[in-house]
Amino acid sequence: MAWATLGGIVAFTTMNPFYLLPLWAISWFVFTQQRVPGPASRSFRMFLVAGLMAVLIRTALVFLGPFTASNVAYFALEGLRLGTILVIFGTFNAVTDPFGVVRLAPRRFQEPALAAALALSIAPRTVASVRRIREAQQLRGIPTRGARALPALAVPVLEAGMEEAHVLAESMDSRGHGSGRRSRYRPQSWDPSAWAMALPALVAAAVFWIASTRGFGDLQPGTNPLHWPAVNPLVLAVEALLVVPGFLPRQGNARR
Amino acid sequence: MTTTDNAALSVRQLTFTYPETERPALIDVSVDIPEGAFALVLGATGAGKSTFLRTANGLVPHFTGGTFAGRVLVAGRDTLANPPRRLADAVAFVPQDAASSFVLDGVEDEIAYGMENLGVDPAHMRRRVEEMLDLLDIADLRNRSLRQLSGGERQRVAIAAALAAGPRILVLDEPTSQLDPQGAEHVMAALQRLVHDHGMTVILAEHRLERVIGWVDMAVGFADGRATAGTPREVIHDLAVGPPVSRLGRMVGWNPVPLTVRDARTLARLRPPHAMSAVTSAITGAPLVEVHGVDVQHEELGVPRPALRDVTFTLRAGEIVALMGRNGAGKTTLLRTMSGVLEPTRGSVVAGGHPPVPGLDVALCPQEPESILFNDSVVGEIRATLRARNLGGTDTAWLERLGIADLASRHPRELSAGQRLLVATAAIAATQAPVILLDEPTRGLDPESKAHLIGYLRTHAVEGGGAMFATHDVELAAAAATRILMLAGGEIIADGTPADVLGDSHVFAPQMTRVFGPGWLTPEQVAGAMA
Repeated sequence: MAWATLGGIVAFTTMNPFYLLPLWAISWFVFTQQRVPGPASRSFRMFLVAGLMAVLIRTALVFLGPFTASNVAYFALEGLRLGTILVIFGTFNAVTDPFGVVRLAPRRFQEPALAAALALSIAPRTVASVRRIREAQQLRGIPTRGARALPALAVPVLEAGMEEAHVLAESMDSRGHGSGRRSRYRPQSWDPSAWAMALPALVAAAVFWIASTRGFGDLQPGTNPLHWPAVNPLVLAVEALLVVPGFLPRQGNARR
Repeated sequence: MTTTDNAALSVRQLTFTYPETERPALIDVSVDIPEGAFALVLGATGAGKSTFLRTANGLVPHFTGGTFAGRVLVAGRDTLANPPRRLADAVAFVPQDAASSFVLDGVEDEIAYGMENLGVDPAHMRRRVEEMLDLLDIADLRNRSLRQLSGGERQRVAIAAALAAGPRILVLDEPTSQLDPQGAEHVMAALQRLVHDHGMTVILAEHRLERVIGWVDMAVGFADGRATAGTPREVIHDLAVGPPVSRLGRMVGWNPVPLTVRDARTLARLRPPHAMSAVTSAITGAPLVEVHGVDVQHEELGVPRPALRDVTFTLRAGEIVALMGRNGAGKTTLLRTMSGVLEPTRGSVVAGGHPPVPGLDVALCPQEPESILFNDSVVGEIRATLRARNLGGTDTAWLERLGIADLASRHPRELSAGQRLLVATAAIAATQAPVILLDEPTRGLDPESKAHLIGYLRTHAVEGGGAMFATHDVELAAAAATRILMLAGGEIIADGTPADVLGDSHVFAPQMTRVFGPGWLTPEQVAGAMA
């Protein structure tokens, strides 16, 4: 969680493609090293596609305004930044079990952490639901590709989602959620690996933050006039700190 | 407090109407369920069972809205004044679909969740989780993810999670509907332990009475929103429902009507049936699907896990095959392989000389029938199928086949689970695929819907089609199937007539076999031989 948030900050503070593109590579590396089986890792692909779409759509929006080289570059870079944030988020989604994160959250933040975890689990659940329903409609002879197939997929997916959410809400309330009292079962302390994940990301985020406020390292390359953005090797090295989680031993516990 | 001192659940003159509906779901219901009772709630689909169960912890009306008149006291507390979360320490509720009620991801975490909400002391919580793992016999699942569990395991985890916070009243909506006979026995045994050894009150709804009637000590019967409470015998008599032995008792005029296999045995000794009529000959229609030497492996983190091993059989025209076996035996995998959506790792599946085309050669009704319904009327679902396949024909004919012509203009969402299953089956049937597969068509299926389903399968088979359904319901298999295929660990372990396969099993024997011996399958068959 910390890694994703801080990685997101890194991406947010810069529009320099030479800093953004390595983040895609880092995300991919962390994902392949730490992936867990199941629908969660399939949702990484979904976020990857969403990231690429963000770049393309943002770039396409340039046609709404004056069409100049510097405008195109500006829009493309902004799209790239958005896409990068999505991909980092997708990596987080695919390699961690959000419910494990709930146990790491400080006590005061447990309820919001649980809400966040449930919200995060929607993406993989929806992916699984779409696959299941597509197959079911195929077995009824209903076409499942193209725009005309949309209602046959979307209606059951949405209804299943609503139904699930309703049952879940009932179940949580039936089991005393929100009754005001609260204690914790086996809270997890921050072990070295958790620190090893969060600290380098913290350093990277801090450096990028400071660099962006001080105008250091060409984080916001101007696009008017258009020029080739500079790369500061020091900043790039700091960014590389985000790759650390990829080298940590795979989390043995399937639920982490 | 008045006369409700020792009642776990006391319902007084309750009339409840859901929002935006005219007819009340519950009409003037007055029922007391005493502490320590093991109570069964029964009745046809849509008669008010689920609504009644959900009043017990205040989900009705706090979550549903609607018009609520009367009074419900649970453990002495008024449910109108207390929302579900404030009754969580007194009453636990396990919904029909246990899987979607899970909040977290790990078994232990899920069990602890309710206690965390109630602020139970961590040391006590640790002990309590252990106790629950032992009580429901699920200690070996403690570190598993909930997503990897079988249906029976999930149900027991859901019960453990509901009970952990220490409520003395447990309410369950069809806890065995998705379980194999062994899993159902485990759950019922665990529930009985709670009642007998721990003095808890258990209230459950169930359609498959043969699974529960022998365990419970009181019953509440629902018909059109009205309730009658009494002994299981009285209520079964009033509603004219019951397990196969009761149906037989009514057909041949036994008095009192037997409730259990044991009751029926005593009566049967006085009046044994004549010799069995000749066994029907094997069906030798044309092969529709040929499965030859099929292996299927699922990948889990790059590690292949075998799901089917060397499966060979042929589904012929005119056959209705029941596919049985434990949760996780490979039934769904086999159906998906036969339908052409899953490639076998080894071996071949052939339908009409080529690999089966999904939806054309083979159609399948999924385990969750609502996952294929997307139109705003029942008849619209049939039209959608016909349009997609460019087929003519009248849409209502398919509804008539499943006995649901009267639902044609209703919205699928308003229907009960059993009715939705019939609608989905009609939509599948309309593909006119020669082979129709159904994956566990049992959830929420009341006896009437079951009869409609069996009628459709027979018509389809007589017209030269073939059908196969995966089921845990031995009585459905005994009544409908011409052949039983039994899977265990991905392999076929039995393949033969229902009389041979079911007569030979301790777990899968239907009630008539248990009373009269191998070969007797349905009450109709026995009653015929007694006449």
